Amino acid sequence: MKVYEKDQKVKIHFKVNGQDVEYETEPRKLLVHALRELGFTGVHIGCDTSNCGACTVIMNGKSVKSCTVLAVEADGSEILTVEGLAKDGKLHPIQEAFWEKHALQCGYCTPGMIMEAYWLLKEKPDPTEEEIREGISGNLCRCTGYQNIVEAVKLASQKLRLGQTPYQRQ
Amino acid sequence: MYPPKIGYVIPDSVTEALEFLEKHDDAKPLAGGHSLIPMLKLRLLRPSYLVEIRRLQELKYLRKDGAQYSIGALSTHYEISKANIPLLSETASKIGDPQVRNMGTIGGSISHLDPSADYPAALIALDAKVKVVGTKGERVVDFASFAKDMFTPDLNQGELVKEVLINDYSGYKYSYQKLERRAGDFAIVGVAVLLKVDGEEIKDARIGLTAVNTKAVRATEAENVLKDKICEKTIEVASDLAVKYANPTSDIRGTAEYKKKVTKVMTKRAILTALGKR
Repeated sequence: MKVYEKDQKVKIHFKVNGQDVEYETEPRKLLVHALRELGFTGVHIGCDTSNCGACTVIMNGKSVKSCTVLAVEADGSEILTVEGLAKDGKLHPIQEAFWEKHALQCGYCTPGMIMEAYWLLKEKPDPTEEEIREGISGNLCRCTGYQNIVEAVKLASQKLRLGQTPYQRQ
Repeated sequence: MYPPKIGYVIPDSVTEALEFLEKHDDAKPLAGGHSLIPMLKLRLLRPSYLVEIRRLQELKYLRKDGAQYSIGALSTHYEISKANIPLLSETASKIGDPQVRNMGTIGGSISHLDPSADYPAALIALDAKVKVVGTKGERVVDFASFAKDMFTPDLNQGELVKEVLINDYSGYKYSYQKLERRAGDFAIVGVAVLLKVDGEEIKDARIGLTAVNTKAVRATEAENVLKDKICEKTIEVASDLAVKYANPTSDIRGTAEYKKKVTKVMTKRAILTALGKR
């Protein structure tokens, strides 16, 4: 059993986007702050009551709101953020679809929205419109009115099912 | 947004967790963290230590032994929603949003006991039992008595919920109807219905209500009326009777009057949906 006092720092190790990261933290620090301090500033904070989903990342294969996880809890885990989706500058099909369907405006919800879409399409490769809307109901957007996000997720599901290779943005 | 300073404990076993919790009266066990961390962020709680139980494999299981499901306390809403357990899986699928369901656990939900939580409506209808573990051993209590009052579980210092036990109600028809302002919200009213139908007759009926009292209740008079030949009139009368068991409060989700009225609507909807008539 390990016991850390409130002022004691805890050393944690986790993988972010495939890279090993070592991080020292107070027990009370939220994962969202830790990720942002480590440079993953695509992970956003849109609320303080776990509603908005702007901080959504994939942790051990599951989409989670990183504002409602402590950094110490992430010790030993594998995390994927939006920064880890594109490969060698080639957009992931979900990113491509968001671009093609104009599914973002201010872009603040976009990283969280894309990560939730990533999890949704792993769960349901061919979702209905209703399933898409339910699937992203933990992610709020103030700009788009959601319509184009739904279109983008539909398009992304087609691209992923057809196994289209991501292409270089011109 | 910022939790207060807290100590943090990573036990290697349930026994270690229980011993630590017994010695520290204001330490809090951390499961999915989706009620505890939001409360810490608003500084509504100031525990001395968090005891991380969420990775203890001993509490992570979901199995069927004969006609009984044993659901380990750390089973997530997501896992339960995929487990094809009559009524309970459907109820789990309506909790919060996908991210919440990926983390939240049944043990945490019932130890927290928000009066608007979804599970209690189903658990009370299912006659669920709760296995509680402490340093001195285990005890099993009915969910109905485990839920003493809102946010008040029957848990002593140094005890944890180990598992939830429910009988297999395969063969029953069921529905959980949740009225909400938007997807992801807590229930304005939640009604869980379990019906045993034999031909044209309802032989057994169980109706659990959530969000309209300080804790979930069974609408027993409504249940009794339903145990008859299936007809519009008994369904109407039963839905009316369910309102007798609703004592809601006026809040941001609606007035008490409105919540009473929709208790009838949601009860009727749950019965009709369970019967496949809607």
